[in-house]
Amino acid sequence: MITRIVSNNFEIPDSHTMDVALSNGRYSSLKPVFEKEPQELIDIIKASGLRGKGGGGAAAGNKWQIVSDWEGTKYVVVNADESEPGTFKDRRILSLDPHLLIEGIIATCYAVGSNTSYIYVRGEYEEFSDILQDSIDEAYEKNFLGVGAQYRVDITIHRGAGAYICGEKSALLESLEGNRGHPRLKPHSPKPEFYFNEPTLVNNVETIASVPFILENGAEAYRAYGTEKSPGTMLFGISGNITKPGIYEVEFGVSMLEYIEKVGGGVKNGKKLKAVIPGGASTPILPFEMLKEARLDYENLRDLGSALGTGGMIVMDEDASMVKALKNLLRFYHHESCGQCTPCREGTSWSDKILDRFVAKRATMEDLEMLRSVSKTMNGKTICVFAPAASGVIDGFLKHFESEFLECIV
Amino acid sequence: MKIIIDDRAVECEEGALLIEVMLKNSIEIPHFCYQEDLGADGNCRMCMVDIKGMKRPQIACNTFVSENLEVSTISENITEVKRSILELELLNHPVDCAICDQAGECKLQDYYMDFGLYDSHLTTAKTKKGKHIDLGSNVMLDQERCVLCTRCTRFTSNITKTGELGIIGRGDSARVGIAPGRELNNPYAMNVVELCPVGALTSKDFRFKQRVWFLDSTKSICHGCSRGCNIHVDYNETKYSDEKIHRFRARRNNKINQSFLCDYGRLSYTELNESFNGEVSHVKDLADLLKEDKKLALVSPSMSLQQLQAIKSFCKNNAIELFSLAYIDDSFGDEWLRTNDMSANFAGVKELEINYDEGKFNSSLQDAHVVINFDHKYLKNMDLNNKRVVHFATSHVDSDYELIFAIADFAHDSGTIINCDGIRQDFYATKYESSNPRLVDILEELR
Ligand SMILES: Cc1cc2nc3c(=O)[nH]c(=O)nc-3n(C[C@H](O)[C@H](O)[C@H](O)COP(=O)(O)O)c2cc1C
Ligand code: SF4
Ligand code: SF4
Ligand code: SF4
Ligand code: FES
Repeated sequence: MITRIVSNNFEIPDSHTMDVALSNGRYSSLKPVFEKEPQELIDIIKASGLRGKGGGGAAAGNKWQIVSDWEGTKYVVVNADESEPGTFKDRRILSLDPHLLIEGIIATCYAVGSNTSYIYVRGEYEEFSDILQDSIDEAYEKNFLGVGAQYRVDITIHRGAGAYICGEKSALLESLEGNRGHPRLKPHSPKPEFYFNEPTLVNNVETIASVPFILENGAEAYRAYGTEKSPGTMLFGISGNITKPGIYEVEFGVSMLEYIEKVGGGVKNGKKLKAVIPGGASTPILPFEMLKEARLDYENLRDLGSALGTGGMIVMDEDASMVKALKNLLRFYHHESCGQCTPCREGTSWSDKILDRFVAKRATMEDLEMLRSVSKTMNGKTICVFAPAASGVIDGFLKHFESEFLECIV
Repeated sequence: MKIIIDDRAVECEEGALLIEVMLKNSIEIPHFCYQEDLGADGNCRMCMVDIKGMKRPQIACNTFVSENLEVSTISENITEVKRSILELELLNHPVDCAICDQAGECKLQDYYMDFGLYDSHLTTAKTKKGKHIDLGSNVMLDQERCVLCTRCTRFTSNITKTGELGIIGRGDSARVGIAPGRELNNPYAMNVVELCPVGALTSKDFRFKQRVWFLDSTKSICHGCSRGCNIHVDYNETKYSDEKIHRFRARRNNKINQSFLCDYGRLSYTELNESFNGEVSHVKDLADLLKEDKKLALVSPSMSLQQLQAIKSFCKNNAIELFSLAYIDDSFGDEWLRTNDMSANFAGVKELEINYDEGKFNSSLQDAHVVINFDHKYLKNMDLNNKRVVHFATSHVDSDYELIFAIADFAHDSGTIINCDGIRQDFYATKYESSNPRLVDILEELR
């Protein structure tokens, strides 16, 4: 079941060092890449149907085209802020195959016409950031990067300061510019992101790491995996009450239960499966009954009322308390809201405080109503999708596990 | 081009910002973070409207209008949205209106009365933040009353570019603050008090002195320098005391000061509460003095055109050599509003061709027997030995001149002045009568 495209080198010892990387195929895509015109490369990415792996699943080719077409000095920014509970895939690439990422960055920069790239690494990822920096230094020595390279690209790592919201692309760029990590208002028409007012591409680590395979083997080779609308593979993660937690790459469209059983080794200690949060903490929870239908692709999970997100599944067994699980998540949202928008700033804290009353089994019917109404106010009324995500999380728990909340009402 | 707002057709320009169209047409639209001079930030989410064809409510401060756009600000849905956001805005607010200086001109109060009017649903404890923090420059901060609209931080970042204020913390612990060891000390600092839509930033100079609903207001022009910033003079008269001016507030003029004032100008209202109250001379004595020869007059360059005109003909009729000298302070001006010329109407002096040659003035002064000072600030520093001096004063003077006449100041005597860019502006007298007569009336009496 496991497919190896991005994770091909993960199990090779010292895969992060230049020698091992070179003898295992790294940087081999650059020769065919530089033989092509940048637009040809963008067309290949479009044809491959590659979708962003940072949670939104936007078509990568279209984003590249917009940046390529926009006048100005172009930047490629790699989003390695990975801070969502349940999501821990990008760190694998950073530490186990950093040269794949560097290779992808060089190809991407060439395709969109940029010479400068920043990798925005989550503050807590010091260890992975150090490995990545060593690899970047090696790539400079070998003239893959810098003045001596066939196509000049410079890469700079920027370490975040530990805010989840800095993973949101416009907040990330604000932070990179030296400002507070506050998301920007969304544009009214298709536009690139902007770094110091210059057109900028922001892609997730895994998105960029998927690029070398596609450009070397062609769009069809990528489309051989996955479904029509969700082509290719993804580094799906699994954690929680599971026998073998970890990151395993499979193609899109596989059955979730099969993944849990065959790849994750089933629910820990033979317990019964109660629910799964399918794609990182920000995706609405799905109860066991709905999982029989669930497949790991964007369309299926959306139709089930949740989302694929980052593909990081959180498994909960029959003993899990849904009230405590929601409390745990709301504490996270309360702590991480950037605090700009009124509905989010006040809504995340209030809903977290209301949950305390449920956990203490001292809630009232009004508390439940308030929780619903706060969730409604947080949905669709803010600058970024952080608050709507929190709202979706609350709604998911209340929809599928209402009875557990009613039990906490005095 | 036309758009429809609440079933009413509104003329506007393609691409204009919806909130600006609404404000221009006096259509109620609640807003905290949008401010005409600071622009939109989109954080408060109070300005939400329903737009036909859009699934979700949109913020008016980030909506650009196009032909036939249909907007609703009063539908049941949008009223509920606004109410629910307002409830969140007020959730952790202390609601200490009874002791808050903003009460009466507070947007939170206004909006609650307009479309809030719900009972509190809060069953948990409110978030605690800092109270009565002295930021410097007369500005006091109450973090609990703050709605985090970032008007104040955008003012110091984008307008004065001094960057004293910022937001500290995330989520519900986000609050306005000042960097450790710094002070809010730019010459325009007090504008943040006026920008703040709630009682989070208050002026140490004004707070706890008056309830705003007891104040009357008159349109005027700041006389602090030649910029001529537009102001509201706020004042009242209480049962046991005379009329008192309590503050100047900026009055919008997009050609001059937008909605801002410098702190010096803002606080210059205090002079107007110090009118001359000593014993004044008789007009008859002045008439006698006018029979002398070698007479010279010096007029303040901050007098109105009407006053200057009256003085000019008075001097002509009585063979008095008339001068005016500008109030120049090279350390006062800056790149923005403040000008080195601290006279309110020096352009008026020039227009009326009043002599402002300083060399000529000095030599004439030496010869003069009689010196008539029309409220010019410099005269007290000049050598007036052996001269007979007449003083027309708007505010209190210490020296004992031979004749002293108290006259109404610019808050009590309307007129016109011309600013540094040649813009003519009228200012008006407050509704209470001054205890001192108008200068033109005294001169009239002498005719
Ligand atoms: C609150 C929030 C947090 C996010 N965090 C991350 C993150 O840590 N890493 C990431 O790649 N994308 C994150 N995203 C998505 C980014 O905004 C952006 O869509 C993504 O980096 C684009 O890359 P992609 O198209 O390659 O997925 C986040 C979005 C939101 C709203
Ligand atoms: S929704 Fe929340 S996280 Fe996003 S900009 Fe608004 S306050 Fe910040
Ligand atoms: S800011 Fe002041 S007046 Fe306004 S609601 Fe709060 S306490 Fe009351
Ligand atoms: S102090 Fe006032 S102006 Fe500043 S952010 Fe708070 S409410 Fe807005
Ligand atoms: S005024 Fe529009 S969001 Fe604040």
